[in-house]
Amino acid sequence: MKPAPFRYLRPGTVDDALDLLTEHGPQAKLLAGGQSLIPTMNFRLSQPAVLIDLNRLGELAGIEESRRGLMIGAMTRQRAAERSGAVRDRAPLLSEAMPFISHPQVRNRGTIGGSLAHADPAAELPALMVALDAEFLVRDRDHQRRIAAADFYTGLFATALAPDEMLLSVEVPKTPKRTGWAFEEISRRHGDYALVGVATTITLDRKGRCDGAHIVLLSVGDGPVAASQAVAGLAGEEPTADAIRQAAEVTATRDIDPPADIHASAAYRRQLARVLTTRALTRAVARAQGAEVSETGAR
Amino acid sequence: MEIQSEFVFNGSRDDLWANLLDPTVLAKALPGTKLELVEEDRYEGQMEATVGPVTAARFDVTIELVDKVAPESFTMRVDGKGAAGFTKGTALVQLAEQGPTETLMKYTADLQVGGRIAGVGQRLLDSVANSMSRQGLEAINRHLQGEAPAEAAAPLQLLSRPVLAAIAVVIIVAVLLVVLL
Amino acid sequence: MSAAHFGAAVSRNEDARLLTGQALFVDDVQLEGMLHAAFLRSDYAHARITNLDVSAAQESEGVVAVYTAADLGEYWQPGPLLVPPQPIERLEFHCATQVPLAKDKVRHVGEPIAVVVARSRYEAEDALPLIRVELEPLPAVANPVAALEPDAPRIHEQFESNLAAHAIQEKGDYASIVDQAALVVRRHLDHDRGASAPMENRGVVASWDRKCGELTVWDTTQAPIPIRNGLARMLGLPETQVRVIAPFIGGGFGPKIMMFYPEEVLLPWVTMQLGQPVKWIEDRQESFFATTQERSQVHDAELAVDAEGRILGVRDVFVYDAGAYNPYGLTLPINTQCTLLGPYEVPNYYTEFRAAFTNKPIVSPIRGAGRQPGVFVMERLLDIAARELGIDVMEIRRRNFLPPDAFPHDHGIIYQDSASLVYDSGNYLPALERAAEMIDYHRFLDETQPALRAEGRHVGIGIVSYVEGTGIGPYEGARVSIEPSGRVNLATGVGTQGQGHFTSFAQIAADQLGVEVADVEVVTGDTGKFHWGTGTFASRGAVVAGNACHAAAVALREKILEQAAQELEAATADLELVAGTARVKEAPERSIAFGELAVRANPLRGGVKPGTEPGLEATAYFGPEKGSTASGVHAMIVEVDPETAMVDVQRYVVVHDCGKVINPTIVRGQIIGGVAHGIGNCFYEQLVFDENAQLQNASFMDYLIPTATDVPPVDTDHIETPSPFNPLGIKGAGEAGAIPTNPLFAQAVENALQVPGLEVLEMPLSPNRLFELLCAAREAD
Repeated sequence: MKPAPFRYLRPGTVDDALDLLTEHGPQAKLLAGGQSLIPTMNFRLSQPAVLIDLNRLGELAGIEESRRGLMIGAMTRQRAAERSGAVRDRAPLLSEAMPFISHPQVRNRGTIGGSLAHADPAAELPALMVALDAEFLVRDRDHQRRIAAADFYTGLFATALAPDEMLLSVEVPKTPKRTGWAFEEISRRHGDYALVGVATTITLDRKGRCDGAHIVLLSVGDGPVAASQAVAGLAGEEPTADAIRQAAEVTATRDIDPPADIHASAAYRRQLARVLTTRALTRAVARAQGAEVSETGAR
Repeated sequence: MEIQSEFVFNGSRDDLWANLLDPTVLAKALPGTKLELVEEDRYEGQMEATVGPVTAARFDVTIELVDKVAPESFTMRVDGKGAAGFTKGTALVQLAEQGPTETLMKYTADLQVGGRIAGVGQRLLDSVANSMSRQGLEAINRHLQGEAPAEAAAPLQLLSRPVLAAIAVVIIVAVLLVVLL
Repeated sequence: MSAAHFGAAVSRNEDARLLTGQALFVDDVQLEGMLHAAFLRSDYAHARITNLDVSAAQESEGVVAVYTAADLGEYWQPGPLLVPPQPIERLEFHCATQVPLAKDKVRHVGEPIAVVVARSRYEAEDALPLIRVELEPLPAVANPVAALEPDAPRIHEQFESNLAAHAIQEKGDYASIVDQAALVVRRHLDHDRGASAPMENRGVVASWDRKCGELTVWDTTQAPIPIRNGLARMLGLPETQVRVIAPFIGGGFGPKIMMFYPEEVLLPWVTMQLGQPVKWIEDRQESFFATTQERSQVHDAELAVDAEGRILGVRDVFVYDAGAYNPYGLTLPINTQCTLLGPYEVPNYYTEFRAAFTNKPIVSPIRGAGRQPGVFVMERLLDIAARELGIDVMEIRRRNFLPPDAFPHDHGIIYQDSASLVYDSGNYLPALERAAEMIDYHRFLDETQPALRAEGRHVGIGIVSYVEGTGIGPYEGARVSIEPSGRVNLATGVGTQGQGHFTSFAQIAADQLGVEVADVEVVTGDTGKFHWGTGTFASRGAVVAGNACHAAAVALREKILEQAAQELEAATADLELVAGTARVKEAPERSIAFGELAVRANPLRGGVKPGTEPGLEATAYFGPEKGSTASGVHAMIVEVDPETAMVDVQRYVVVHDCGKVINPTIVRGQIIGGVAHGIGNCFYEQLVFDENAQLQNASFMDYLIPTATDVPPVDTDHIETPSPFNPLGIKGAGEAGAIPTNPLFAQAVENALQVPGLEVLEMPLSPNRLFELLCAAREAD
């Protein structure tokens, strides 16, 4: 389990990194926290000729409050986001979910941008960003553009990033008023790839009816999967226990087509999606209604 | 593993059959592939797949077409070997007319995967199988409807004449297992 | 003799070295000019090698040599049969052992085909894909039952089928009592494979010193002495010119026994070819194929009981998966046959097994060694009988325990040590009652569980018993000596993989010699220091080597006393050994230090009496005629989420009887480690092979080892029933924690859910599988 030979480059600025990326193209891989890439290289399943290490790009690390909400630099360590007061205030869903990402050792090194760009279907961060309506700021040597999180994920390990583009940061809007949130996940052991995870938000109007919701699942498809039919069913409805149960049923039976693996059959994943969506929505609604809600209870 | 699925094409069965035998269509279904016809209905070559952020190792592939019944059905035998492991499989592809501009493709593939890709890739086998075969078939369908081909992820060199592009069903499934992790 | 140290919870002598990184592990060995080996392994479970061309690999940068089977000449030999078949009447046994490099055929994924030796491991691995190997795939068989079908692919051509062994053992006459039974419980039970997954994988460094004609091998083996003797024989070297060192080892658990693994056999040969040292460290991926595995068995069992739940007899017919080769003979299925009987009176017993070759990695013992499937069968059948008869699960066990006056108890069937299965001693009821008290069994059932159920929580309890044959022969030895500095040295042959040998053996010697435990320097597992013995396995280190240490220390004590008596002009009976000195009890000022005695015992000039043996040194051996039988009761509380099928183990209690305890801290550590292993086996760890014998989870990404957060706090207590079969009264403790966890987990999960028709008859039980069982039970209801 030793990687194949590769050239190692460590640019000092974003511009230099983009120049290198343009120069080496598909031969190159960007190294952020390395928590997925390095094992893949050690298995020799990934054999990039060039490794461009982004860890010197201090300009990409950091969390700042912006007018809309929060700007999180791509090279921000996951642990920093987990411990950030700004994240807790402005994007509490993200705060609640961060501990589910693997183990502290991995979060100490793993980056927000690395996970988002890797686009693993079992990763928490892509689903969270879709649920939070985040926007991704990406750049190539000449242009910068913004991509909505929901449009960023295009397939299995596939994103809207062009081969010479790099993710710079992600902007997470501030959680609106009368909005509740919850994250639930089940994995075999804490830190394992989720069997199923679900990120939810729900915003209530002044009469307590659903004025918008997100139900986004992970580990049930090629990338983050938004349960759009379930959300449509909730629109304008009072989020009663029955309405929640109905939304979870639609999520499990119509919005997802989960894969099977040795840890979970498709039927078991549907069941977990049903249960977790119910639990997450229940807590999210309670929060939206102003109740104190305990942190997630799932393993 | 066994894969059973179906796909509806927006085109007549004869058109689809002809398309499946068209090398430019293969280009869309199998980016990163070099195949050479070594004898009637037998191809050899190399494939290299890149999916998202993960690069794959190279595979030597052999594809054989047997039991060809135009324009109804064919069977493929695929053998792929590389440093990361091997794939070996058979797929039965059947085309049924559903109308003048609609054809149903049913495929059943029985696939063996071995070596490193089997040992560490299981989590993604199902997703890769579904997602990649669907993508390959959608590309063919777009072509069938005369739409501009989607941008291929890597250039494709085809050194020989027609091969049935729907080998996507097996080959892509097999080779792209390399995605992993 | 004082007994200040034996039985005391003294802290471990080796911990300072281990915790500060000062302990030598095989990968720490760095030698000048050392080369590195990497192995080309088969991707196929079953294939014919039609062509093998290493020329391109030989040209690869940094590569020094590439070897295949053809290069080995006469050195290419199948490995030894390690355990000859036990003397069971009408036994059928077919032996096929592993080879150093595959020649014509590969029989499991990961079987080595070629070895590349290069300046670095990186360069060696770079060259592997350059080896052109043509493999013609053959149909493979993964399932041991399918392997015995008449049309199954033949794995070893020299045999008529894949049958590796067939054996029947009987006690009483089961057939004659089955009609008299009030209840006969018949079930099909399945037990799947797991890995040993030690923290340190295997590794070998071999170094040939041409001028001294000496071969030194550092090896992560549990049995350095048999490895030394075997290598000497294979390489044509005198045994004295081969030194095998098993330094600190990060966990053994069985598979590191004297397997004569291909890598273990090849590296010494390679260093002699090249004249340079060579290192191979197994990486985690290799470990999933190249290191032996265990536990796959399929049972069809029945239990006949009377109306009170008393056992009339047991009939068990099972298939045992031997893997591709069977160098370890029949130890495992015989352990299963013998351990199934448990602590119970079973007057009639019919047990039959067939061992099957499959295209999966080789099977050899892992912590528990065949006992788990046997205990699983017996305990599950008792649970079901209890339920059918309306008896409490504790009560049915109590009614069937062998009484304390039934020992030694001869079962009349053959055990793994080739002798009749005899329980030396036992007292089972106190352990059951103590465990029930510790987990508050009755109150849990009467009050806690109903209250939790009213809150919608599904919490359940389990309690099971087991016995474990430990401490078998043949023998071990030890040498205890005192040097002129006064330092006490103790050398023994057994290797150490974390069991605390440096402390428990020191405790035994310290008591005899009147020194502190920390003053005894223990050396284990270095054939240059001690070269008689077999190895660390079968929970025998403390029993066999411990008693050898005791015998050597007693002999040295006698020597010291005699010499001191001369020096101090006193009778030996009037002397005592205290703080490294011998002194007169009534006049402590008349004393002599051990160091001074050692100097005088090794005079440099002058004459000695004829027959004098020099030095303060004694060597002794211990070989028990029969092993000692440890026993215990485990209890557990689990919470099951019936919606998600996730299980949380909340409490765990172990009451264990391993006879006289040398060091309670060490025993507790062994028990807790075993429980963690057991929890892994029942809920997390499963090697999943597809129908073509390809392993689906060959990494820690998918092969799930319980972590610290998955193992609950374990409460332990001890019942002491000394073994009459060894002077110290010790029984083994290393494997016990892992043995009864599977049926315990099954019982507790069923108790938590109380879903009619839900029976857990397979292990491991993943939440996915529990979900399926729940769906099936609800549907059937």
